[in-house]
Amino acid sequence: MNRVKLLFFAALRERMGTRTLDLDLPADLTIRGLKDKFLDEYPEMSESMKSVLVAVNREYASDETLIPLNAEIGLFPPVSGG
Amino acid sequence: MQSYDLPTVFAIIEDEIDLNVLLARITLVSTGAAAIFTGIVRGETKRGEERQTEYLEYEAYIPMAEEKMKQVADEIRAQWSAVEGIAIVQRIGKLYPKTPTVLIACTAAHRDTGVFEAARYGIDRLKEIVPIWKKEVSPDGGFWVEGEYAPKAGE
Repeated sequence: MNRVKLLFFAALRERMGTRTLDLDLPADLTIRGLKDKFLDEYPEMSESMKSVLVAVNREYASDETLIPLNAEIGLFPPVSGG
Repeated sequence: MQSYDLPTVFAIIEDEIDLNVLLARITLVSTGAAAIFTGIVRGETKRGEERQTEYLEYEAYIPMAEEKMKQVADEIRAQWSAVEGIAIVQRIGKLYPKTPTVLIACTAAHRDTGVFEAARYGIDRLKEIVPIWKKEVSPDGGFWVEGEYAPKAGE
């Protein structure tokens, strides 16, 4: 198993009602696999997940990115700083 | 001069942005020009659908945001080798109209070195890849402003 920490920001954080969530994932899962698993557990997040950006250990990831052990995974909307 | 000798300041802060302190930190004895961009909370928006803003509430994924600010500074240096100092600072928390929210400043020996373009690139790039968000709050309620850019893996 791979225990990862999800971090939520902005609209995703508000909708989840939490900043962080620890999750046990099977080994060799991709971000696509994580999204599928997450939406199975939190179907109410499907609208927020449509435009979600994903960062693995603080670097932007794609759906094909393989999740490393004990990763920190940020989930957030397209950024709007400035 | 090698870039590792050059001052680069990047930070997410909660207190006021102090332009004088930042400018002093990125000014060298060879500096003769600074291009400074500051974003400000706009209380009345007239472009597009007119609206009033009571305040903006900013949040950031701080460690990643600071890493991405460093990346923006590196990208500026790769394109404008004449740039001497770079400051990239975002203020977060609840910010009211007329308050500066962000500062991008680049210094160089002279003004015709691309220093204006470098600062412009800095703010444009910050709005693409640095993980910061703002919620716009008006008397009618609030909404999270969402950007349009989707960074590629590793970008």
